[in-house]
Amino acid sequence: MLRTRAQSGDFLKGLAFLSPWLIGFCVFLLLPIGLSLYYSLCDYSLLQPPIFRGLSNYRQLVHDRLFWQVLKNSLLYAAMALPAGLVVSLALALLLNQKVPGQSVFRTIIFIPSLVPTIAAAALWLWLLNQKSGLINLLLGMIGIPGPGWLTSPRWVLPALALMSLWSVGNTVIIYLAGLQDVPRELYEAAELDGANAWRKFRHVTLPMISPVIFFNLVIAIIGVLQVFDAPYLMTAGGPNHASYFFTYYLYDCGFTYLKMGYASAMAWIQLLIVLVLTGLAFLSSRWWVFYQGK
Amino acid sequence: MKLLSRIISAVLVLCALGILVFGPRANQSIPADRRGDVVVEYWEKWVGPEADGIQQIVSDFNDTVGRQKHIYVQCMSMSNITQKTLTAIAGGMPPDVAGLWHDVVLQFAALDAVEPLEKMAADHGITADSYKPVYWNACHYNGHLYALVSTPGAVALFYNTRLFHENADKLRRAGLDPDRPPRTLEELDRYAAALNTFVVDSHGRRHLDQAGYLPMEPGWYITNTPIWFGTDVWEENAGRFVFTDPRVVRACQWIQGYSLRLGAEAVNEFTSQSDIKGGFATPQNAFIAGKVVMEQQGPWMANYIHHLRPQMDHDWAAAPFPSAVAQQDVTFCPFDALMIPKGAKHKREAFEFIAYVNRQDVMEKLCKLHCKNSPLARVSDDFLHHHPNPYIGVFEELARSPNAHGPIQCPIAQEAGSQFQAAIQGLVSAGRAMQPAEAMALLEQDMQAKWESYLQEQRIRREKQ
Repeated sequence: MLRTRAQSGDFLKGLAFLSPWLIGFCVFLLLPIGLSLYYSLCDYSLLQPPIFRGLSNYRQLVHDRLFWQVLKNSLLYAAMALPAGLVVSLALALLLNQKVPGQSVFRTIIFIPSLVPTIAAAALWLWLLNQKSGLINLLLGMIGIPGPGWLTSPRWVLPALALMSLWSVGNTVIIYLAGLQDVPRELYEAAELDGANAWRKFRHVTLPMISPVIFFNLVIAIIGVLQVFDAPYLMTAGGPNHASYFFTYYLYDCGFTYLKMGYASAMAWIQLLIVLVLTGLAFLSSRWWVFYQGK
Repeated sequence: MKLLSRIISAVLVLCALGILVFGPRANQSIPADRRGDVVVEYWEKWVGPEADGIQQIVSDFNDTVGRQKHIYVQCMSMSNITQKTLTAIAGGMPPDVAGLWHDVVLQFAALDAVEPLEKMAADHGITADSYKPVYWNACHYNGHLYALVSTPGAVALFYNTRLFHENADKLRRAGLDPDRPPRTLEELDRYAAALNTFVVDSHGRRHLDQAGYLPMEPGWYITNTPIWFGTDVWEENAGRFVFTDPRVVRACQWIQGYSLRLGAEAVNEFTSQSDIKGGFATPQNAFIAGKVVMEQQGPWMANYIHHLRPQMDHDWAAAPFPSAVAQQDVTFCPFDALMIPKGAKHKREAFEFIAYVNRQDVMEKLCKLHCKNSPLARVSDDFLHHHPNPYIGVFEELARSPNAHGPIQCPIAQEAGSQFQAAIQGLVSAGRAMQPAEAMALLEQDMQAKWESYLQEQRIRREKQ
């Protein structure tokens, strides 16, 4: 409650200073979110006024074979890229946390790929993953393994994109590193006094102590991995045979290529629901494996 | 502290003043003597050398007709133009002229997003008689003219005559004539088989090194393949998709046949090279590099060969792509479209420019710059004899042919095309695991459901209006 004139004045001043962000938030975020919910209940092409059709778009989605395929592709990709990303970035952070000469150089090297624009990374990975002259198949060939058509085989395209996603784990590594450096030294010393080896120290000290960081990275990864768009758009165009056609890519096509903005909006709300459910599950499970120092 | 905040404020004020004084100005690129003219904003999809060609025509217009009629066309070439035009129309700030691809003409027309042009066209003497029927019909929807052509194409068979002669013995042994192109689809398959070459790696694995022909290289018109089997995937009179038509299924079997004979892995490996080597407009283009002996292309290919590998100028020829049925000169005719979006501020002036582009002399100049055939019914001898593509006559004849096909006249053609392309990819990569008849039955079921949903939406829209 604002009791005095001075308090009201401060409140108004606060609002005035906040207004650039507040207006931006309302106009560019809140309003589009509200409108997209309304459009998801309409037939809307962007070029004609929306016509309210109730749940028609959602009903059509249930019967759209492609919708189920892109959902399956996205979940499969998430099942590969998400754990791989978390494990690899944690492993890299553990390595980079070792006090070795040139530590900062190694840290920089790991972080640099995160700064490379996706288009450049995609062009690079097109070369690396090329079936005939790609470096990966060349190395596999040296040990007598015929490399697959990473981007041309429906069976290999998702693992290939998941592999490529590891290219940009630099940000996650940095967050893990900050978490690792926050683990109190005395806990390791106590564990050493109890005769714990490196694995037991990692299992019983490091992991519990950085579990809030793992949880944070997990939530961010769930949100990010289900929205993957740029790499398949640039590298495979969703192919072959829709094997790398993801949810967000189909959503984009529905909205901006097929001009079915209502249908695309319905897809966006389903995507939000999926992300919310998965994030909710992560939060529910967190009570068993996330430990906060203050508690 | 006070001094610091004063310095920061002074710097900010100076920056703001600098932007005001030296910053960008509206219409800055318009010459001083044309500032009173009506400025027609023209968005063009072409970038690179084709955009330079368009710019030449725009400059010609501005120096001649534009000067007389006080119209100044400002051309802006951009990528992703369809999405940009779409949002500009939706936002009520579209350009006056939009230079888009043929595949959005119907889609935009069906959504009432572009202006009908028939009256303005008739006033300028542009009628059905002015055009080759395939292009004129493709610019229409529901009896209205929604676009005119800037430059068109017609798809033919390009073949490498040097490689034909180098493999003359192989071709003769297969009972084929190395001095002429294939005339039937069955013959094309035999030429292709004779011209394939393989290399064996150190592990004893066989790789396709040179392909006689591959439907998926470059595969730009692969979804139009049914026209060479005597049908389209859309039955316009009945208003339905006919993916299960036996001729469409045969077309898919023909495409799949290449990956069955050569092996899906070998085909995937071979075509994957195009993804990394920069693709079409590079000297590594599979046809230009001599890795593919025959391919489906439009007349513009001559320009690319000339610029990317001039020593190949006399090593190729073009002929009608052979048909599986008893039809002559079957072709697909893509085109670039000029349209006036709904909400454009200067419609009349915009059409003055479009009409200028459609003048025979101007169109021929532009089509020569883009190395394409003309969409117009009449072409001059000069156009035929001084065209950068020495086989332009072949393309002109193809575009005139009664068997020339334009894009299918269905507002959801884009979606159908993407799904068909994916289904074909599936057939090519899955080998015998997928049967064309089954794949087409599923596709038809999906697309028909989407078409019916579209129709229902339009019915409700009409009722509410």
